[in-house]
Amino acid sequence: MKPAIEHSLFLIPPWYSRIFPNNEWVLLIVLLIECAIFALTGSNFLTAANGFEVTRLVVEVGLLALALTPIVITGGIDLSVGSMMGLSAVVMGSLWRDAHLPMPVAICLALLVGLLGGALNALLITRLNFPPLIVTLGTFSLFRGLAEGLTRGIENYSGFAPQFLFLGQGYIGGVIPTQLFVLLPAIAVCAWWLHRTIFGRSLYAIGYSSEGSRYAGIPVTRRLGFIYTLSGLAASLAAIIYVAHLGQAKSDAGTGYELMAITAVVLGGASIFGGRGTVLGTVLGLFAIVILQNGLRLSSQPAELAGILTGTLLIVTILLDRFSKMRSSHRRIHTIAEKIEVKNSQVAVLSAVILIAALIVAGGNWLLAGSMRQEIRKLAGIQNQNAVPPTAVRKPVIAVMPKAKGDPYFISCRKGIDEAANEQGVEVLWDGPTDLDPAKQNEVVEAWITRGVDVIAVSVENEVAISTVLRKARERGIKVVTWDADSQKDARDFFINQATPQGIGYTLVDEAARILDGKGEFAIITASLSAANQNEWIRHIKARLAEKYPEMKLVAIQPSDGDRDRAFAETQNVLKVYPKVKLVMGIAAPAVPGAAEAVKQSGRTDVKVTGLSLPNMCKPYIHAGVIESIVLWNTVDLGYLTIYASRALSKGELRAGDSQLNAGRLGRIEIKGDQVLLGSPFIFNRQNIDRFDF
Amino acid sequence: MKLSRYKREISAALAYAALLMAVGVASPSFFSAANLSDLALNNAPVLLVAIGMTMVILVGQIDISVGSQFAVCSVAAGWLARSGVPVPLLLPCVLLIGASMGAFNGLLIGRMGLPSIIVTLAMLVFWRDALRWTTEGAWVQDLPTNFQWFGLGQAYGQLLIVAVAMAVLIGFSWMLRNLRQGRAIYAVGSDAEAARLAGIEPPSVIFNVFVLMGALTGMAALLNAVRFTSVPSNAGLGLELKAIAAVVVGGTAITGGRGRLLGTLIGAALLGTIGTALTFAGINPFWEKAIQGAIILAALAADRLIDEWRMRNQQ
Amino acid sequence: MPRLKHGLRMTDSPLLEAIDITKSYAGVRALSNATFELRAGEVHALIGENGAGKSTFIKIITGAVEADSGEIRLLGEPLADNSPRVSKALGIAAIYQQPALFRELSVAENIAIGLEQVESGIRIDWSERRSRAVDLLAQVGAKIDPDTEAGELTMPQQQLVEIARALGANARVLILDEPTASLSEEDTRKLFHLIRELRARGVGMIYISHRLEEMPMIADRVTVLRDGHTIDTRRMIDVDRQQLIRMMVGRELSAVFPQRQVETGEVVLELLGLGCVAAGIKDLSLSVRAGEIVGLAGLVGAGRTELARTIFGLTPADSGEILLRGEPVKISSPAQAIARGIAYLPEDRRRHGVVMELPISANITLASLDGLSRFGALDFRREREIAAQYTERLGIKTPAIYAPVSTLSGGNQQKVALSRWLMTQPSLLILDEPTQGIDIGAKWEIHALMTELTSQGVAILLISSELPEILGMSDRIAVMCGGTIAGILDRAEADQQKILALALTPALGEVDSTIRP
Repeated sequence: MKPAIEHSLFLIPPWYSRIFPNNEWVLLIVLLIECAIFALTGSNFLTAANGFEVTRLVVEVGLLALALTPIVITGGIDLSVGSMMGLSAVVMGSLWRDAHLPMPVAICLALLVGLLGGALNALLITRLNFPPLIVTLGTFSLFRGLAEGLTRGIENYSGFAPQFLFLGQGYIGGVIPTQLFVLLPAIAVCAWWLHRTIFGRSLYAIGYSSEGSRYAGIPVTRRLGFIYTLSGLAASLAAIIYVAHLGQAKSDAGTGYELMAITAVVLGGASIFGGRGTVLGTVLGLFAIVILQNGLRLSSQPAELAGILTGTLLIVTILLDRFSKMRSSHRRIHTIAEKIEVKNSQVAVLSAVILIAALIVAGGNWLLAGSMRQEIRKLAGIQNQNAVPPTAVRKPVIAVMPKAKGDPYFISCRKGIDEAANEQGVEVLWDGPTDLDPAKQNEVVEAWITRGVDVIAVSVENEVAISTVLRKARERGIKVVTWDADSQKDARDFFINQATPQGIGYTLVDEAARILDGKGEFAIITASLSAANQNEWIRHIKARLAEKYPEMKLVAIQPSDGDRDRAFAETQNVLKVYPKVKLVMGIAAPAVPGAAEAVKQSGRTDVKVTGLSLPNMCKPYIHAGVIESIVLWNTVDLGYLTIYASRALSKGELRAGDSQLNAGRLGRIEIKGDQVLLGSPFIFNRQNIDRFDF
Repeated sequence: MKLSRYKREISAALAYAALLMAVGVASPSFFSAANLSDLALNNAPVLLVAIGMTMVILVGQIDISVGSQFAVCSVAAGWLARSGVPVPLLLPCVLLIGASMGAFNGLLIGRMGLPSIIVTLAMLVFWRDALRWTTEGAWVQDLPTNFQWFGLGQAYGQLLIVAVAMAVLIGFSWMLRNLRQGRAIYAVGSDAEAARLAGIEPPSVIFNVFVLMGALTGMAALLNAVRFTSVPSNAGLGLELKAIAAVVVGGTAITGGRGRLLGTLIGAALLGTIGTALTFAGINPFWEKAIQGAIILAALAADRLIDEWRMRNQQ
Repeated sequence: MPRLKHGLRMTDSPLLEAIDITKSYAGVRALSNATFELRAGEVHALIGENGAGKSTFIKIITGAVEADSGEIRLLGEPLADNSPRVSKALGIAAIYQQPALFRELSVAENIAIGLEQVESGIRIDWSERRSRAVDLLAQVGAKIDPDTEAGELTMPQQQLVEIARALGANARVLILDEPTASLSEEDTRKLFHLIRELRARGVGMIYISHRLEEMPMIADRVTVLRDGHTIDTRRMIDVDRQQLIRMMVGRELSAVFPQRQVETGEVVLELLGLGCVAAGIKDLSLSVRAGEIVGLAGLVGAGRTELARTIFGLTPADSGEILLRGEPVKISSPAQAIARGIAYLPEDRRRHGVVMELPISANITLASLDGLSRFGALDFRREREIAAQYTERLGIKTPAIYAPVSTLSGGNQQKVALSRWLMTQPSLLILDEPTQGIDIGAKWEIHALMTELTSQGVAILLISSELPEILGMSDRIAVMCGGTIAGILDRAEADQQKILALALTPALGEVDSTIRP
């Protein structure tokens, strides 16, 4: 060996391109900027406790993202992981509860289901040579569908042993969330496996050229089969942690998680065409998203900003990547991409859209800056305490959570909340999931605990799932009320009760009986098949039917997924398949106008619509006589009362054992035990509906 | 030879025929005129989006932001109508809005050469959350009375929607086959570099396809919105998956360059019929998603089986 | 300038001029001040080693790549804003080295689509397309159904479709980059006939090829490129092969093929009645000894690559026997073949030979990763050492071993591919067109390496379409036809005529009937 040549060869790339082969440092900077901003604007953002809570939230998505990283590196994709979580969760739940298997056995069998599901993907992709996108699009529907079919959407397995729940809710050494001890080893193993072993090396080779890898003797099919199977297994492991975290197993577990995991992976610099990607990048991408969400919450910014900023971040990072690649000296020459020809008209469109995006981001920043000013003023306030008049004591902070932020029902509640907040001089935080999602509700409560609020008021999506974290809030001295829907009794101080599920169910049936004269067929259009509240109401509806109206028959329950258009289509089907149905009962706010429009367009004047909905969206149909009546309470008043009760609780004016509460314009409100009663459900009809505007 | 070119469409059509036969036996009333017209109406918006998606996939890209774009266009249509824009002007306005969102995708993907799945993933969350932020979930209500059915009345309005959807389908089908620009889409999807060397400009073709995708999404949103008297703010959730599934079940290759709108029509019809068919057959809706997934996989498997059968026949 | 004897309608004013063309890719000069001139009715050969800048040069003429400086003139007019579209409209057509067909589209459409882009009217006339395709395919003598999908065609068929497409452009300037690389002798003859016809019609042609022996048959003038510079332009009749080689490499190459002493050892590979339906191999028997080079000759489609793929386990055999050192073995995957000491350097370097985007070091070690690991963990230090050793031993020109293979020239890429198989220390090495599309210097180095390997006792099975290479390197020559061995010749008795006679053995059935006239 001639040493001269050896010296002229570079053997090791420079350290920065070894650690950050795909410009992952950009994400590191983004993370630092995020931390700096939120440390300024958020309350208690930069604390150890918050740091650990954040890591608790990333575990499930993190496991999925880790399993997706090798798949994306080989140029594939797996859309079915979120659905596989749902399937594994219900399999574990049913084996444990219904088949009375010991928990460890149920867990092992759930993992086996993940393994089999992954193997199905692997089989279709490697043996039959189908594109991964289509295969996993198919199993995405299939797995979720199996989960729903097996549980009929209704089953909600809960009541797990504390030892199991410790996995998802406990702390080791008092501060470190248990599941972190699953995620950290998983990251370490995955990083070692992908970057240090011959297996990992072969995945990169396959990603760049699977044909070329085959000629080099790499067993391509076996490698691909392994990683898709592994991804199924990782999804079921994530499902087990998810169940332990929420304390319940339901078919909707992990809905939409695949998208978040994919976002983390591609944000982390993995190329969707294969060959590029690192575990470090994936982890950085994951934290960039999660810290953004957490930080926005702690600085009371609208959660929608998270999506907007994530989208912008994705575009910016790939643009940076593209430009740095064009500059970089030893990269393949992309003849097409290199030649960016942009016409004037296109520059105009591009500039316009970038301008809009910039305005949105700027708006967000302005809001951030606004709250920063508040912080500074607060700091200043501490120093000049003598100058501040004694009346300017800190306003109580009441954090109010709806089941879903965008739901018109809760938007009408918010009217009353804002009204009462003005009257009472309290600060209201309004945040919650954008779609029904018990895991997200937990996340928001966790953030509030970290942030430190006086009262938390929650409209509970799932009583088992949320109760643990509400108890934790109470332990920290935060008052807790539930409104609209209750949690477990020991998890809150009071429940603002506008109606019990039983009351709602009974009233709906009674109203239906009145319209149908006590006999005939009717159908229900519900929200999603797995919606907890709706299923509870349906239970009471059935009980009432059996008990009091034997001649009335419930012939069909169809899902609408909270989508007006779907409710419309389902009602059309019901009217045709069950011609004897004379009444359609919608039990989700958008379902009633959807059903009414379907009845109207069918021209069937003999069919009436009733149900649970908001006056404004039903008004035209009530006047047209399509909707006979809707059952609800005054939602504005419900929000109004929630704030009054919360404030009284925080001031110590409301205590356990009280029998009434003074609630502003509502006058004296009765309290029964630990429930503040708004009154019974109200029936809106043609005579009274114009008096209401919400 | 000729038949084998349509084998992917045939396998989807066979699956569809099997579904129709099964439901026809279980419940003959499925084939009533009223039901068929309802099916056509309810699936027309998905079909329009799937037409655009077919072109996007043919050119070798993908667009998962259409659901969010659909919602933005729906709400925009409602706002415009409420603020007094005359109903006949709604269509050009919404087409323009959709086309500009598509143009933004097209710029980043076609001109800048960024991967479409990442760009549209970003736009998926961006538009959805931007819309949530601005509307705060409120529906657009109190629309002018001539908003529904464009003021034409139910019968004519329904006819118009189905007619427009079919006209778009036939029109694009013809253009894809017989216009130079249509064939350029196939060429770029088949091999972008070869297309460039042949004098086609792939960036423009990709850009144009995304603009069309956006415009078709806008059209679908408007035609869907005018069937009702109000516009919900959460429209189009999951629409992208429905459209992509319709396209791939219809036999268009996900890698680009191969496929036809005829297949997309069959795919959209097949997937759009499953739910209704299950209701008619009296099967519990709990199983709908599972059956939908099974049908997608079955269409794939049928494809492969026909391949093998052909191979055996040749030998 | 003297008048050339072929140029019937040659004029003194140049058809196409390239003046002082300079182009750099990311700081690396591909062309510097290259100057070239093409006249109407002339075939102007452009030769040079790989990486000399030929492909870049023609891409600049067709507008596929933009030059940094310099000017292209067509009939004295400077070409502004050149692009494939513009050059096409001006009558410049090209056949690129890699067939640029649309796999999913029909042959007729492939031929039509490039032509239509410059025509007026946006509507497509399908019957006109078809009849034009039939006509053009007939001109190149290809029996191809215009309705077949291009992806279903063999490589030579694709090449013929490309030629038909370029013909259809009715171009003033026709550029042919390695048009004969995968053509049979018969088709090559036909192509030359066509080129002469076009020359008579006044078309100017730029002809690029590594096959120097073709040049005197077809070219009027020749321009040599070396390291991005135009070295010289000569009349073809004024230069001989040796002079051209000297101009290309800049030095004298003494012998074309290295001298070798044959000391064959035991039989390493023995095939007994081997057959594989999927690969089209039937009843094939052959043996290769240690230290021996067995050349595998035959026409394209005779089943040589298919035989290699069968031995290597890519298309496992379904009848007959494979014996390794006398022991019958079953090979059903490349991994098994590698484990038994078989190595296969595939024909398609870019797709199969190397993984273009992986670093040089990772490419070299890709087939022997098991030996570099303990419990699955890679030993990076050893990997670097070994990769550096091979880089040095084979003289791979690179600044760093972690650079992606795609940054190397073709010859160096082939050396990386070869290093991968040397590292597995094979006892049988199958080389499939090891020097195709590679410059003369690298070619010589690879031949020398083969000699060295045989002296170490490696058995080599050499597949090549270049008869001089087969004749120069092999100890024995097996000629294939119709998926089996038509005959085996000793080095001493073999010559081109005998090989061709065997390769065309009619009794052994059809040789890719679709492309035979």
